[in-house]
Amino acid sequence: MKKIVLILFSLVVCGFASVIGLDALGEEQIAGGMASTAGRGYAGGAKTGDAEGLSVLNPARNAFDTKVVFNVNFLLEMVALEKHGDNFGVNNITMPSFNLSFPMGGFGAMGLSLWQTYSSNIDEEVSEGKNSIETSIEYQSSIYEIVPSYTLRLPVIRNFALGASAHVVMGNSMRKISMGPNTEGLPDSDTWAVKKIEVSDYVDGTWEIKNHPAYYTVALQYRGHQSSFYFSYTTPHTLLNELSYNFRMSELDTLAPTKKSREIEVPALIATGMNFRFMKRNNVMLDLAARGWDKDIENVGGSFNMEPVTKTQKDMLVALGLQRDGSPLFYDPYLDRITYRLGGWYKTWYVKDVYELGGSLGAGFPLGRKGTTLDLSFQGGKRFADSGRAWDEIFLGFRIGLMGVGNWGQTR
Amino acid sequence: MKKILFVYLLLLALALSACIFDSDETVMADWLADQGVPGGYEVQTLSIDGLTPISSAVFMDSTPKLANDRAVLGRAANISHDIVFDIAFYDSVFFADLKNADSATAYLAMYVLRPFYSSKSYPTDSLPLKEDLALNISWSLDKGSSMAFVDSVGDISDSLWLARLAKWKAKSTVDTTISISVSAKDTIVKIALPSELLSAMKKLSKACHLQLKLSASEAARTYRFYGAGTSYYPKLWVVFPKEKSYSEYDPYRMAQIVSNKETCSDCAVLHGGVYDSLVLEYESAPIMKALSDFYGDDFPYTEGNGDDVRQTVILAQLTFARDDSQGSSELGLPIQVVVGSYTDSSGKSVRQMESYRLNKSLIATKGHPNMVFYDGDSLTLQVTYGMRDFINRARDGRNFKMMMRMGYPVLLPKDSTYSDRITSKKDTSYVFFSHFDHSRYDFTSSLKQPATMKLWLANKRGNE
Repeated sequence: MKKIVLILFSLVVCGFASVIGLDALGEEQIAGGMASTAGRGYAGGAKTGDAEGLSVLNPARNAFDTKVVFNVNFLLEMVALEKHGDNFGVNNITMPSFNLSFPMGGFGAMGLSLWQTYSSNIDEEVSEGKNSIETSIEYQSSIYEIVPSYTLRLPVIRNFALGASAHVVMGNSMRKISMGPNTEGLPDSDTWAVKKIEVSDYVDGTWEIKNHPAYYTVALQYRGHQSSFYFSYTTPHTLLNELSYNFRMSELDTLAPTKKSREIEVPALIATGMNFRFMKRNNVMLDLAARGWDKDIENVGGSFNMEPVTKTQKDMLVALGLQRDGSPLFYDPYLDRITYRLGGWYKTWYVKDVYELGGSLGAGFPLGRKGTTLDLSFQGGKRFADSGRAWDEIFLGFRIGLMGVGNWGQTR
Repeated sequence: MKKILFVYLLLLALALSACIFDSDETVMADWLADQGVPGGYEVQTLSIDGLTPISSAVFMDSTPKLANDRAVLGRAANISHDIVFDIAFYDSVFFADLKNADSATAYLAMYVLRPFYSSKSYPTDSLPLKEDLALNISWSLDKGSSMAFVDSVGDISDSLWLARLAKWKAKSTVDTTISISVSAKDTIVKIALPSELLSAMKKLSKACHLQLKLSASEAARTYRFYGAGTSYYPKLWVVFPKEKSYSEYDPYRMAQIVSNKETCSDCAVLHGGVYDSLVLEYESAPIMKALSDFYGDDFPYTEGNGDDVRQTVILAQLTFARDDSQGSSELGLPIQVVVGSYTDSSGKSVRQMESYRLNKSLIATKGHPNMVFYDGDSLTLQVTYGMRDFINRARDGRNFKMMMRMGYPVLLPKDSTYSDRITSKKDTSYVFFSHFDHSRYDFTSSLKQPATMKLWLANKRGNE
């Protein structure tokens, strides 16, 4: 196991994920990007069990857990950008989230998650025509949230649990576009002055929430004998991205930066989901989430012909999933102990006219007898972008989740 | 087993990704263009005419400088160069001999700077140099009685000695005239020291500390010598003719003191071989107006914190009118004008020396544009760092400030490689002559005529 983790860490190099919305917020890691949830098409927010762990959209769920769960998620994503039949592709490896949930029996359950909600990533170079200097583009922007949560089963109606979480936002962003001179407009006698001079448009900044320490989610979860459901509401908030723009010759030869900040008003998010269990260990689940973006998002932009704003639309997720839980009995055949998952989702992005359709296949392999699980999921799909700037994207995702289960604090 | 399978799966996924999603650069370039990122930044040139400085001032550093390497005596280009020797020795036998001798004489032997006078670049027809030099010799002589006294002189650091020299007053002074001659063969110049110095030394018995200053402020030219730190260090000789013996002492260190004898205080005069500089200040408004007319935007910039990064200066050059008849030089070689400008460093204004970008085709045909005493009637100086910083921070109303000074004489005025190199198996060709020319250049009339600023600007604005 150590070796696997080491290999994964050594592969965590920032590269390229979706490039839609690079200048706005970037790509969203739906539902915390957990491998187990992704395996069933991001559905299953309402599914309860003894070690389901934290759900970032549904902080009430883990009130019904009985075991401490810690999980780490990795994502390897391959994206092909396509327009008029031409395409190019790139890879990205990232860690969308860490989650820890800690049930305390009658005292409810606590949870803590580190979640990369949005990220913009690209680092590519292009040599164009006669210019001897390559044009390079690099984005490194991550909005991280630290999400502490608490949930409690209600006193009389013990089938219900109420949970809340606070999202403390942090992160940083960087964009660097380097290029050589375009001397087409210059007379030949003047080109000597700019030969081989590379200039970088450089923007860096930090992310936080304007005027608040955090934004919040409250959720209500019902666990029935066969069906469960949840409803959650996340407060609207304003993201503040303080940026400093530079136009520099090198890292040492810079200008005094122009400091500006952009504010992104993120509307409220409502999410709901249900899970129906049949034939003991089989589940069918449906999740819905919607966030009604109503204002344009101001872009990092600021340079060349880059767009100043990103137009938005209603951001919606419809996810449908199937899961066959693995047998909890250690002496059952191994194949029977594996959890099998299947799902599909349809998502409208916050970026106008961008739709994503995807399907996934997942499995959870129990390791040893303590309940430690390795979750794998394969995802594939397409993002349809109708706008001129964004291109269609075909993506393949490969997620790995390492889930550790313990029984701290539990009496036998 | 499962672990190995997993690693294989991961590698397979990576390999698959490499095959299926192959990057195509031209498609990538199309994508970049769709994002509004051009293949290269736009470069535009802008000329701003009619610039005259709102202030010009000359600053000269006349504090004593260590001259252990080379020392200069005399006067050239209205600058007088004096030499101070720091000599200390413990020698009771010498002082006993001196007391008894009545015909002892003393003189300084100084080695002329042969590499300068025998250089190919030195005009040979000016040799031999002959002059009856009016020399002022002044000194202070301190009495000591032990080796510890001599050591205490050596313990004074160079910087402290130089600082004390600035306020030093000689205890005795004598005006004399010596006949000096430097020909192609000469290596040594003898300067006879006055008998007053020897009679003062007769009063001592064991050790002395002598600080001796030579000044020839009415000399026709300057004379260059080796300093105390070289193997051709100057020597103090005391000769006893009757006894046919002599004593020889060498200076511990030497200092150079220059003084400015210019009479016009408002003139913008620069000198070669000394630490002086001409500081010019140009008003912000005409430059801002020219930029504003050029881009159609507001200058200075007011958004955000007001630091302007909409464009950056790739190169800036300022062209002055030039009239070489306003100057004089020893060697007749072109002299490079060195430029610095005042830029902001964490809120403080600091002087930054400018880099020099070569316009090779121009240099090959017309020579470097930043020289005086050369063909042509203009002087073009690059002030890229200064203008870049100025336009970037013009919001606070600052003016553009630059500095110039005389550099080294140029040996290869039309050589566009601008670096020393071996031309054949034996010969090295140098860009600069390694000795300063004691030249003088009056920029007063040049500065009265309007100068032209030419800017190469990289633009970040969109053009859609």
